[in-house]
Amino acid sequence: MVIKMNFEYSEKDENFRKEVKDWLDETLPKSLSEKVKKYQRLTKEDYEIFMNNLTAKGWLAWHWPKEYGGTGWNAIEKHIFEEEIIKASAPRIVPFGVNMLGPVLIEFGTEEQKNYYLPRILSNEDWWAQGYSEPGAGSDLASLKTTAVDKGDHYLVNGQKTWTTLGHHADKIFCLVKTDLNAKPQLGISFLLIDMDTPGVEVKPIITLDGEHEVNEVWFTNVKVPKKNIVGKENEGWTYAKYLLTFERTGIAGVPYSKSALNHLKMISKRSLKNGKPLIEDPIFSSEIAELEIDLLAMEIFNLRTVSAAAEGKAPGMESSLLKIKGTLVRQKTTELLRKALGPQALPYLPEQFDEGWNEMPVGPSYAGPIAKQYFNMRKISIYGGSNEIQKNIVAKASFGL
Amino acid sequence: MDFTLSEERKMLQETVGKFFNSNYKNIDKRSENVNLPEGYSKEFWKESSDLGVISALVSPKFGGLGGSGEDISIIFELVGKSLCVEPFLSSAVLSSTVLSSISNPRNDLITDIIEGNLLISFAHCEMNNRYEDHYIETNAHLKNDEWNINGTKSFVMNGDDASKIIVSARINGDVNDRDGIGLFLVDNDQTLKRPYNTIDGYRSTELTFENSKGELLAKDENALKCIIKANSAGALALSAEALGIMQICFDLTLDYLKTRKQFGKSIGAFQSIQHRMVDMMLEIEQVKSAVMLASSTFETDDLTRDKNISAAKNLVGRVGKLIAEETIQLHGGIAMTWEYSAAHYAKRLIMIDHLMGDSDYHRDRFKLLSNF
Repeated sequence: MVIKMNFEYSEKDENFRKEVKDWLDETLPKSLSEKVKKYQRLTKEDYEIFMNNLTAKGWLAWHWPKEYGGTGWNAIEKHIFEEEIIKASAPRIVPFGVNMLGPVLIEFGTEEQKNYYLPRILSNEDWWAQGYSEPGAGSDLASLKTTAVDKGDHYLVNGQKTWTTLGHHADKIFCLVKTDLNAKPQLGISFLLIDMDTPGVEVKPIITLDGEHEVNEVWFTNVKVPKKNIVGKENEGWTYAKYLLTFERTGIAGVPYSKSALNHLKMISKRSLKNGKPLIEDPIFSSEIAELEIDLLAMEIFNLRTVSAAAEGKAPGMESSLLKIKGTLVRQKTTELLRKALGPQALPYLPEQFDEGWNEMPVGPSYAGPIAKQYFNMRKISIYGGSNEIQKNIVAKASFGL
Repeated sequence: MDFTLSEERKMLQETVGKFFNSNYKNIDKRSENVNLPEGYSKEFWKESSDLGVISALVSPKFGGLGGSGEDISIIFELVGKSLCVEPFLSSAVLSSTVLSSISNPRNDLITDIIEGNLLISFAHCEMNNRYEDHYIETNAHLKNDEWNINGTKSFVMNGDDASKIIVSARINGDVNDRDGIGLFLVDNDQTLKRPYNTIDGYRSTELTFENSKGELLAKDENALKCIIKANSAGALALSAEALGIMQICFDLTLDYLKTRKQFGKSIGAFQSIQHRMVDMMLEIEQVKSAVMLASSTFETDDLTRDKNISAAKNLVGRVGKLIAEETIQLHGGIAMTWEYSAAHYAKRLIMIDHLMGDSDYHRDRFKLLSNF
C-alpha cells in the first residue's frame, strides 16, 4: 500500500511495524541495546548476535528478492524495518556483505558465485569489507591505483585500500582494481573478491580523531587471486561499483537517527540548567531546537515521498543525493546542539567508559560522556559515501542542463 | 591610529613563538605532554618561566613584566598555534588575576607563580552553574574563627597538580544571589580530587571540599568583581588562543588544497572550494579585529572591557565552529584521523566554546552590557 495524501501508513504497514517491533522486543538482548544507547564499543560478537537473530527470522537480506533468501519487501516495508531497528537501539546491520555485495552478485555474479557466496552471507559465515577508497582516490574514486595483473590462472594484486570500515573483523573483501592500466580512468576497472587470509594482505588500524578504531588501511603485496573471483566482466567493474553505491544510499537521510537524537536533546535541555532554570526555558536555545525539529519534520516527509515513489517502482535519482546532503546536515546539527546543551559538561572525556562493563561514576550526568565524542565522530557522515560536495556535483550535472 | 605592535611586543612574539615551536614540534610531541602524569610538561613550564613567558602575563604592579590585554593576546595566540597544554590559563591568567584584583593583592603568591614554583588553580565552575559568575552552590561558614568550605567544584583546570586552590563559595544568600560570595585560598591537600582529561587533551579535575580550611581573600562586591575579571581575562586569553588555532587551521587547509589532487587537478582549483576559503579568511579577519579591540580595552573600565571581550568570545564561538567544521570537511577523511594535526586543532577550537562562556552566553552578556 502506498502512502496516500493523508500521509498515513496503511493498516497493513502498521501491522508490519508492530510485527518488527514485537520481534525486536522479544529477541534483542537488553544488554546489547544498552551498549548501543551508551555508545559503548561493540565487539564482533555483538554485531553477530543481532545478525544471527535476523538470519534465523529470515530478515537479514532485507534488500534481496525472495528467490535468493531475501524478504522481498517493498520500499515502505524496508523503511519501516530500518526505522524500528534504529528505534530499538539494535547494532547496525553490517552492510558490506548483505546490503552491498549481495545485490551485485545477484545482478552480475555467475551461478557458481551466487551458489557459493550468497548462502555464506545469509548465514553470516563471511564478514565482508569494502575495498573502494584509496589514499589517492577518494572523491575521485575512478582514479584508483591498486592493480590486478593477469597471470594466467590468477591475478596478482598490488596496492592499498583505505577507510576500510570494520576491516579488522573481515574474512573477505570486495575490491575495485585496475586491470587495464592504459584505459581511461573508469574503463579499466574490475570488481574482485579477495580472501583476507591470502598471503600478502595486511590490515593496519587507523585511529580516528575520537581515539577509536573503526576504520583501517588494507595493503596488498603480490596477492594471488584466482581468476574465478572476478565479478562480471573484466574492465567493467565501474558499472557494478556504481550499482552497489545505489544500495549504499538507502536510508541515507538517517531520519530515525536524527529523531532519536532530537528526543535526547529535549531530555538533556530539560535537565541542563542555565541560571538555575532548565535550559529548554531559554527562548533562544529552545528556538534552535524548534527549527531543528521543523527541518527534520520536512525532511521526514521528503524522505517518505521518495520512499513512496520507490515503492511504486520509481527509482530515486537525485533525491538520494539531496537527502544525503540534508540528512547529514540535520544529523550533525543534532550533535552540535547536544554538545551546546551540555555547556562545560561536554569537556570530560573518559575513554574507558565506552568499554563493556564499565560501572564507575561518570563525571557529571551519565548522558554527558559520549556527546562531544559523537559530535566529532559525526563529522565523517558528510565526507563518506560520496562527500556532500560530490553529491552537489551529481545533482547539478543531472538536473540543470547547464 | 596605529594597529601595529610595538617593537618590544614584536620581540616578545618572536621569542616566545620560537620557544613554543622548538618544544611543540608536532602533534606526537603534544601527545607526549598530554600523557605525562600531570597532563603537561613540568620541564616546559619551568622553561617558560625562565624565559619570562609567565611574567609577560602579569602587570609590573604585581611583579610581572606585562599583563596588558595585548600581552595576553600575543602569548595566547601562540599557545593556540602550538596547542600547548601547560597551565598558562589556569595559573598564570585566572589565579593571578584574582590575586592581583583583591583588596590586598598577594604579590608573594604571584611572584611564586611567575617563578614557576607554585601552581594555583581557580575553582569556580560547578556542575550546575554553566558559565555564570555568581551562581554558586559551594558554601563557606565560620567555625571557631576558621572558614570551612563544603561543596564540589567541577572542570578545575590543572586542579590535580596545583598546590593551592582559589575557590569561590557562598557565605550567605541563595545560590543565585549576586551578594554573599567569598573567595578563599585553600591548600590542595585538603580536597578530594578526581582528575581526568578533556576531549581536547587538557587536564581537568573535580575537587570536593569537605570542611576544608580556607583563607578569605575577598568577599561580597569585591569577590564578584574578581570572579568577573578573572573570567573576562580567561575569555580574552581563550579568544586569542582560538585566533591562533584558526590561522593554523586555515594554513593547513590551504596547503592541503594545493597538494591534494582529484579529477586531475588540485582540489583548490575548484571555485566552490576557493569561495569557502574566502569565507574562512574573512571571518578570521573579523575575529582578529575583535580580539585586537578586546585586548586594547582590557585595562579600561569594567563595562567597556567586558562588552568587548563578550563580543570577541561570541564571535570566536561562531567562527570557531565554521573554521573547525570546514577544516575537517575540506580536508576530507584525513582530518578525521588522530595522526594528523588538523583534527586536534579542530577539537580544541570547538571545545574553547565550552569554557569561560559559550557564544550564547556572551551574546546575552553583550546585550545586557549594551542596554538592549
